[in-house]
Order: sequence, then structure tokens, then C-alpha cells
Amino acid sequence: MPTLSEMDWCELLRGPIDPNAAVRHVRADRDGALVTFDGFVRNESHGRRTRYLEYEAYESMALAKMREICTQIHNQYAIHRVAILHRLGHLDVGETSVLIAVSAPHRAAAFDACRFAIDTLKRTVPIWKKEFFEDGAVWADGELPPAPLPPEAAS
Amino acid sequence: MTGLSDESVDLIEGSTLADLFELYQRRFPALTSFRSSLVASRNQEFAAWETLLSAGDDVAFLPPVSGG
Repeated sequence: MPTLSEMDWCELLRGPIDPNAAVRHVRADRDGALVTFDGFVRNESHGRRTRYLEYEAYESMALAKMREICTQIHNQYAIHRVAILHRLGHLDVGETSVLIAVSAPHRAAAFDACRFAIDTLKRTVPIWKKEFFEDGAVWADGELPPAPLPPEAAS
Repeated sequence: MTGLSDESVDLIEGSTLADLFELYQRRFPALTSFRSSLVASRNQEFAAWETLLSAGDDVAFLPPVSGG
């Protein structure tokens, strides 16, 4: 029997994200609530007009960490199914970079799990964005993932 | 910065992630100033610098992440 998180959908995409596909994947008759988070490219950053973004990832690890988030939220919240989709490459203003959809029998779990998923993704999934402005480009300020304890202290 | 996206290295038995990073620091001295803002990973999992490496391990030194 598949584990709960095997029914989830995690993917890194090179083309546009279809929010409806994510919704269709997680939505079922046993559910009564579905929460989505749509993260998309803003037209400015710290007062500078953004032209476009470029995303890149350490792909094998990014996928592993995205799947880990699914497992975590299944363990912590009474949810049914999860989709976490992240786009890579060139993204114009207004385009979706990340889409998270969580279904659940009741809304509270879906809201909480979706919030936890995006917050955790932003701290732990190895994806980076470069912001291109009219007058230059910078790698966006990021968060340093929490480093684990040394091996002897961890056990 | 190093111009490399990936490569294989041979290490002596008992080497740690910190030892491997030192090896790269010697090749690319500019890396030194970034050590405190990097986190290491071994086989797709964040790992402490003291972690011992084995043959075939997949290692990365990652800057702060900014996905989403």
C-alpha cells in the first residue's frame, strides 16, 4: 500500500505552472477544503524595478527536500494530499514561481499545512533566484538553511 | 565563482566535509570569505562540517537559499 506522501506531487518545471492541474491532483470527494499558495514574480525588489528573474536549483536535493516537506505535513496535520511545484529558469513579472496546493477534510489543517510548507520551502529547499533590474542583476538575499548538529552530538 | 558545476575528487580515508572544503579553499582562495555563509550537504541532506565522507558521497556547499 502506498504511503500517504507517495500520492503527492512534487516537481521542478521548466515551463509555466498550471495551478488547475495542481488543484485537480489534490482535490477529492473525501475532502472539504483546499488551500493553494501562488508565489509569483513581483515587479520590484527593494525599490528597484524588476525586469525578470532566473531561478536555478540543486535539483536532486531540491526534489528530495520538497518530498520531505510533504512527509512532514502529513505527519503534523490532518491533510489528504499535497502538490508542490516550483519553476526554474527565466520568469517574467507576474509568472508563478511556486504553487502549493493542500487538500484536507477541514480548512484549518489545510491552511496550517500550506503555510508550513511554503515557509519551510523558503528555508530548506536549495533553489536560488537572480533578480534582473534595468541597471544590473543580483542574487536575491536568501536564508541559510539550519545546519545540523555534528554527527556525535546528533545521536 | 569557481566556474565548476560539479566534479569528482579523491580524498584520504577519514576526510570530513570541512577537509573537503579546505581543499577547495586552497584551489579557490576567494571561497574563504564565504565559509560562514555556506551550509554543506552530503547525499542530498544538510550535514555538519564534521561529517565523515565515504566513497561515492554526493557533496555540495550551498549558499543561502532564495526559492519561492
